[in-house]
Amino acid sequence: MRIIGDTHIPFLSYRKIALGLSMAVILAGVAYMFFGPGLNLGIDFIGGTQVTVKFNDAPDLDRIREAMSTISAATPEIQRFDEVEKHEILIRIENPGDVEGDFTKPILDALHQEYDSGLSGRFDLNTQGARELANRLSEADPEGILGDAESRREHYQTQARAVLEYRKLQGMFASVDALDKVEGLSPEVLAYIKTIAGAGEFALLGAENVGPTVGADLKNKAQLAMVFSLLGMLAYIWLRFQLPYGIGAVAALFHDVLITLSALALFHREINLPTIAALLTLVGYSVNDTVVVFDRVRENLKLHRGEDLEKLMDNSINQTLSRTFITSGTTLMVVLTLYLFGGDVINTFAFVLLIGIIVGTYSSIFVASPVALGINKILVARRRRKRQR
Amino acid sequence: MDKKIIYRIVLILVVVGLAAWSIYPPSERINYGLDLSGGVHLVLQVQTDDAIKAELDDASLRLASVAEEEGITLGTVLTDPDNQSLTFDVPAGADRAVLSEIALDYFGDYDVQRGADSWTLKFKANTEKMIRDQAVRKGLETINNRIDEFGVAEPRINRQGIDGDRILVQLPGVDDPERVKDIISKTAFLEFKEVLGGPAPDRASLMQATGGTLAPGTEILPGTRTSFEGEAVGRDFYLLKKVAVVTGRELRTARRSQDEFGQANVRFDLVPSAADKFGAFTESHIGTPMAIILDGRVMSAPVIRARITDSGVIEGNYSIDEAEDLALVLRAGALPARLIYLEERTVGPSLGHDSVVRGLRAIVAGLVLVMVFMVIYYKLSGINAVLALILNLLLLMGAMAYFGATLTLPGIAGVVLTIGMAVDANVLIFERIREELRVGKTVRAAIDTGFGRAFGTILDANMTTLIAALFLFQFGTGPIKGFAVTLSIGILASMFTAVFVSRTLYMVVMHGRDRVQTLSV
Repeated sequence: MRIIGDTHIPFLSYRKIALGLSMAVILAGVAYMFFGPGLNLGIDFIGGTQVTVKFNDAPDLDRIREAMSTISAATPEIQRFDEVEKHEILIRIENPGDVEGDFTKPILDALHQEYDSGLSGRFDLNTQGARELANRLSEADPEGILGDAESRREHYQTQARAVLEYRKLQGMFASVDALDKVEGLSPEVLAYIKTIAGAGEFALLGAENVGPTVGADLKNKAQLAMVFSLLGMLAYIWLRFQLPYGIGAVAALFHDVLITLSALALFHREINLPTIAALLTLVGYSVNDTVVVFDRVRENLKLHRGEDLEKLMDNSINQTLSRTFITSGTTLMVVLTLYLFGGDVINTFAFVLLIGIIVGTYSSIFVASPVALGINKILVARRRRKRQR
Repeated sequence: MDKKIIYRIVLILVVVGLAAWSIYPPSERINYGLDLSGGVHLVLQVQTDDAIKAELDDASLRLASVAEEEGITLGTVLTDPDNQSLTFDVPAGADRAVLSEIALDYFGDYDVQRGADSWTLKFKANTEKMIRDQAVRKGLETINNRIDEFGVAEPRINRQGIDGDRILVQLPGVDDPERVKDIISKTAFLEFKEVLGGPAPDRASLMQATGGTLAPGTEILPGTRTSFEGEAVGRDFYLLKKVAVVTGRELRTARRSQDEFGQANVRFDLVPSAADKFGAFTESHIGTPMAIILDGRVMSAPVIRARITDSGVIEGNYSIDEAEDLALVLRAGALPARLIYLEERTVGPSLGHDSVVRGLRAIVAGLVLVMVFMVIYYKLSGINAVLALILNLLLLMGAMAYFGATLTLPGIAGVVLTIGMAVDANVLIFERIREELRVGKTVRAAIDTGFGRAFGTILDANMTTLIAALFLFQFGTGPIKGFAVTLSIGILASMFTAVFVSRTLYMVVMHGRDRVQTLSV
């Protein structure tokens, strides 16, 4: 089977249209990022607290917003997380001013106050831990095993952990009756936990807090990583090929990164550490296609000395076209599975690669070679002028 | 069979065997990162300025009392944390030689600047660094003790950098993260002080007796006023003597207990030397109140009824859990300075579990898609690529287990990406072989040139990805580092499987057949 047969497309003759198109898209994107709504930087870079909670019932965003209003001057951002039927909510608060501080506790306290007044001091199956439960059990000793506090605690620890294991697998307890489904509880312990415990309205899935110091630090590191990777690519390709090719490859990379960033801004995707990791992976991956083309150019240069570089480049692109599409295709397949099945946490990561690989495939054909050709022309002309002098 | 083929097969089997051996059993060998196992990642900063201030306060009290013993009564000793110095007026007629001797004997870490009527004791060049360093080390030790007492399996508690003020705490599998965070950051500095006045509703009324100013050697601290039912109803202020009778440093142990009404409290025992001091103090102050202060708040101010030597009770309207935690932090020791959270990442166990399930689903789906495509597109050669791919994943997991690398959520994405990128090398080779066949080369020659020509390209293409991964590792944190490691290992493994293993498979298939006419590619 062959998807792409022998082609003779004069890619480089379209270079003016292609470069013009790319420039237009990039300019629009940059304008959108810097003068429009801009990039949606996450708490990794701007600092703040982000708490993810899961509710038993479909949560009312306004009620949560109301509950949060007491916490800080900054307006909390409240949005749904993951699939709607999971009842998961993400609450984000920026740190006011340049204050270090973790708002997880105030956020959770406010939620407890709003939602868990019905618990009134009962053990909360959805937010408290195995250690407290074991403490309470060893205190009350429902099985009547007696002995000292330490041995009692040891005895009840296993059952307390079984309760928490259920929460881990199910996400949360819908009600106290869900305790019946916990395996390994003795009848006495089950009955006792039912008398002291209640199922709170929400469970904490995760929390992140990045203070301004660490935020600035991470931002700095992300920028350094980006710059060094691009320089690394330039140096490597310069070393393995020649300067014009290095510049061509790096131009294609800038193109890919800028367009992907524009897409992130346009779709209001949050930029956090994993997003940067995805961008860097993109830098490493998208240059692959370019390298394959240049590699073929180098090989053809040896075989057909004296041939016009433009024609030679066109031939090289056509010869590797099938490969370019298939490798991008297989990688796109797996990135698509990540995008579809990976969950919300990894979704933006997959989004970056999805956009980036498509753009990268385009740029390895329509940006890298034309730029390399252009630079080469300039260098050749300059060399000729020097010789004439 | 050709010796060369046998060597190749043996090498492959050895590598496969090593990989399988190092990941068996998988559940124990693959380390999950905190984002998959659930847990808490904290970066704390020790407020070492607190320690500087505390040292100066301590030194000023020490200076006054030592001078007093030598018969010199000093006025106010001013502390200046910004200049890291103490200043005091030399009383008229005081023996300066005695003062010099005191400075020499008791304040070795200070330089003495002798003025006409006031002297200044200032930190020596490395005193500040030493105090800050000690504060961080003590903080590290205290956190270690507390986590140890709380009982978290496999905690990792490290200082960031050799002389930094940051502490990194990683606790896997915590099911009540807020409570652990609370236990870590509670300063838990316990003091017992003599009450000179109060309780009063505000500061001003306490200072009336002294004409609206605070007398030297005294201080005013707030406390919580509780109703008869034990509920907090407001604030009270107490006028206290600044020098503590006994502090939490002299505790032998503390445990949760309860009073006759079932209200939880914390019972403590003092070390013998402190018990003597405490006994002497309480004996001479029967009938007067004594404040129990925790982190600058008066918890209670009971009237001393009898001589107390080595044990006592802290009451504060605690719940069972609160009393338990307070006893724990008192046992583990006070922090030398406040801690603030610079960074905190908590992943609940259920979220981590969910990520693993979804990650596996993505891996399986990606794997199936790519395999099906390769077999349809390249037929039997596609099977060759599929075998190489499976081997690649085995090597990836084996190498991660062997080096003790951590699998993180982005790392799972790295595995998925590896699946897509590993076949790139195969595609390069197969496309080249097809090309060579099209120009009329024999099957053997096509395979030889295909592998030969493609190798350089594969090397160049993979190097660039490795360069990006290297910088990700260099500048990335936790989960991102995990991703960089997974990706790098995956790429290196793919060079072995797609080039060496695939080639060997072809050799085995070709072996013994003199003239191969067709190749399924």
